[in-house]
Amino acid sequence: MGALQQLVQEAPRFFTYWNMVFLGQAALNTLLVSFIGCGLGYLLGFMIATLRLPRVMPFVPLRALLIFWTEAIRRIPFLVLLMCVFFAFQLSGANTTLFVIAVTAVTLRMSALAAENVRAGYEAVPLRQWEAAEVLNIPPLQALFRIILPQAWKVILPPSTIHAVSMIKETALVSQIGFLELTFAARMLNQRGFSALICFGSILIVYFAISWSFGRIGRYAERKLVTNARGFRALPKACDHG
Amino acid sequence: MQLQYGQVVGYIPDFLTGAAIALGLAFVAFALGMIIGLTGASINAYGPRPARLVIRAYVSFFTNTPQLVQIFFLFFALPEFGILLAPIQAVLIGMTLNAGAYLTEIQRAGFQSLPKAEIEAAETLGFTRLQTIRHVIAPHIVKALYPSLSNQYIIMTLGTSMAAIFGVEELTARALNANAISFRSIEIFTMTAGIYIVLTIVASALLYGLGRGLFRVTARAF
Repeated sequence: MGALQQLVQEAPRFFTYWNMVFLGQAALNTLLVSFIGCGLGYLLGFMIATLRLPRVMPFVPLRALLIFWTEAIRRIPFLVLLMCVFFAFQLSGANTTLFVIAVTAVTLRMSALAAENVRAGYEAVPLRQWEAAEVLNIPPLQALFRIILPQAWKVILPPSTIHAVSMIKETALVSQIGFLELTFAARMLNQRGFSALICFGSILIVYFAISWSFGRIGRYAERKLVTNARGFRALPKACDHG
Repeated sequence: MQLQYGQVVGYIPDFLTGAAIALGLAFVAFALGMIIGLTGASINAYGPRPARLVIRAYVSFFTNTPQLVQIFFLFFALPEFGILLAPIQAVLIGMTLNAGAYLTEIQRAGFQSLPKAEIEAAETLGFTRLQTIRHVIAPHIVKALYPSLSNQYIIMTLGTSMAAIFGVEELTARALNANAISFRSIEIFTMTAGIYIVLTIVASALLYGLGRGLFRVTARAF
């Protein structure tokens, strides 16, 4: 019980205005890195998945390269990917901030996850839709945007919210290169003399609050979409935490 | 600056030992997590309400917080309660608890997909509840959930790289050490990434073959 007594004694010293501002900024950094990374990653992943469609990109080597890209990036642990990006920036001699490195790593990882996700969405649309578009002499890209995507996005969107939430959790690893996000903030506070219990305990609660509420929003959107989607149901997606 | 892979090729045997440790870690955590998951999902389906709430809270907490911070908590905060964990213990317990939560969630979906008629048939045949679970429910779940489960196993294999932060000598930790010695950073980390890619592609293929052979599962995982 000694630890709990210590916790009660320590709480007024820990929950000061400045500490809360510090943690708030760190939480903001976590959110910024994951959301900017997810947004860019989804853009990239969407392009990759689209260029993997034989009807859009007839050039086989490029398609093979994109398949290799998605397969490879998904299979690199986020920590190792982060190190690769970190040292690649160092090698290139570019003077970048840690924020850019973190966002790049999240973007790369997300691009592969999103590409798989978008591909599953494309595959959920029956091939006949493509064939019908072809018969009607609609160019492939127009068919994609006018016919396929409006049907596919109901399959694409639900897992994407899960990915975005899991990315918030994965950015905890970015603390390893010294970027000031929640986990790094907790370690700093811990090193300033606050007990590990209160530091890590409170950021666990912050992570939980962020992740749980975004999960709720995602599920709400999913329910709305699934009831609207005719026939297509998103498969229960296994979790991602790399 | 030139890339010189010649200088880091010598680390490969060392790295492969690390990869074996990573696979072992993932396997142990997955096996223990499966026990938690099966128990949790059974309680969720048949247990009393308070027990169900406990399971729901456990799953919700562990799936909504980062695994890294969970292990940090185990490693740094538990000593304040007088529980000292070695790095490997903290990592294993953290991974197991985390896997248990995700596996409970995955298997819950399996319980929900159970055909009622089969359970009723088992009841008619005079199976006890435990026998029903053992002979009817578990085989069905394994078949229905095999792709998600093997997916989870691959994800956990990749997740073992987190152990490096706590000083467990697996693949990523060995890469970090080799980096500190040789300073051939980009070569070492791209090589490590390559090993992870090959490792998980082989694991995926093996799991796919196993699923086809044992349970006639044709869906591709990961």
